[in-house]
Amino acid sequence: MSVKVHIHATHRRYTDGREVVAVEGKTVGECLDHLVRQYPGMEKAIFAGKNKLHHIVEVYVNHASAHPNELPKPVQDGDEIHLILMLAGG
Amino acid sequence: MIKHLGIIGDWVIGYYLEFGIWVLGIGRWRVAVLTPDERERYSRQIMIEEIGSEGQERLKRSRVVIAGAGGLGCSIAPWLAAAGIGTIRIIDHDEVELSNLNRQILHWQEDIGKKKVDSAGSKVRRLNPEIRVETIAESITEKNASSLVHGYEAIVDAMDNLSTRYILNRCAIEKNIPFFHGAVQGFEGRVMTILPGKTACLRCLYRGPGPEGKFPVIGVTPAVIGSIQATEVIKYLLGFGQLLTHRMLMYDGLEAIFTEFAVNRNPDCDHCGTLAD
Repeated sequence: MSVKVHIHATHRRYTDGREVVAVEGKTVGECLDHLVRQYPGMEKAIFAGKNKLHHIVEVYVNHASAHPNELPKPVQDGDEIHLILMLAGG
Repeated sequence: MIKHLGIIGDWVIGYYLEFGIWVLGIGRWRVAVLTPDERERYSRQIMIEEIGSEGQERLKRSRVVIAGAGGLGCSIAPWLAAAGIGTIRIIDHDEVELSNLNRQILHWQEDIGKKKVDSAGSKVRRLNPEIRVETIAESITEKNASSLVHGYEAIVDAMDNLSTRYILNRCAIEKNIPFFHGAVQGFEGRVMTILPGKTACLRCLYRGPGPEGKFPVIGVTPAVIGSIQATEVIKYLLGFGQLLTHRMLMYDGLEAIFTEFAVNRNPDCDHCGTLAD
């Protein structure tokens, strides 16, 4: 099972510049865990603690918000996850 | 039967006889009929089939709050003023600083140290003297938000922090006033339109407090995002087009792409979850 994770520009320093990373998992959480195993620098970028996302990290699955309770959301082969950072400036 | 009727500015004064007693009546009268000058001023947009004279008169009757006179507010305000929104209220507690001038284009070198609402208000009034521009130099708080937006039919988010956005989001929901969200950072921006009780609100999307402080930004980003917010307001007031409801439009100026993400109402949302669809 392969899922694509789109990495926000700010986080690409942790993924060797990769915009998209292929991961495996049956849930968003499993996919992000696999992402972190491949690119450990992503852990602090997206997680505030065990199974807890940073407030500013938004997760979209197939271009739809996964909020709330993002991590247990199921994903299927071919799905796409976007990791986006909240904006607050004006 | 009214014996006399006079109009002075926006005020109408009349007196009439009722049950043998003369009654004097004074009331506010928003003249919605376009003047010859207004017909000329707005002629190019009156030509748009969906607008026409009727739509332009609707804009003239409209009352819109712009919350913030920073980067987004300086983009939103002139477009709504130029379009002929009849009453615009601009709220901001801040003063103009040199570091604002790269993006807050209603504030100029000579305005440094002035209240932002005075600086922005004077430019917008000069752009379109036909409309009413109200300015309020106050911080938006949970205490005053309701009174600041009372009587308005649209609230445009031009804030620079998430906590005040949450206050406005909740206030808009409680008062059933559409809320036009926008936010920027660097070359990125986003827009979403919220119709209270009908479409996803900010709290349906964001889980907690956001980043605070000074954010990097280049002026073209709020220019793009503010223009889209103003477009949303005009579409809403005129009742045509597809609003950015249930969807967040993200703009990446570096990649030169727009991406759309679906956002659904959260039934457990602590701001709008109790409202029926």
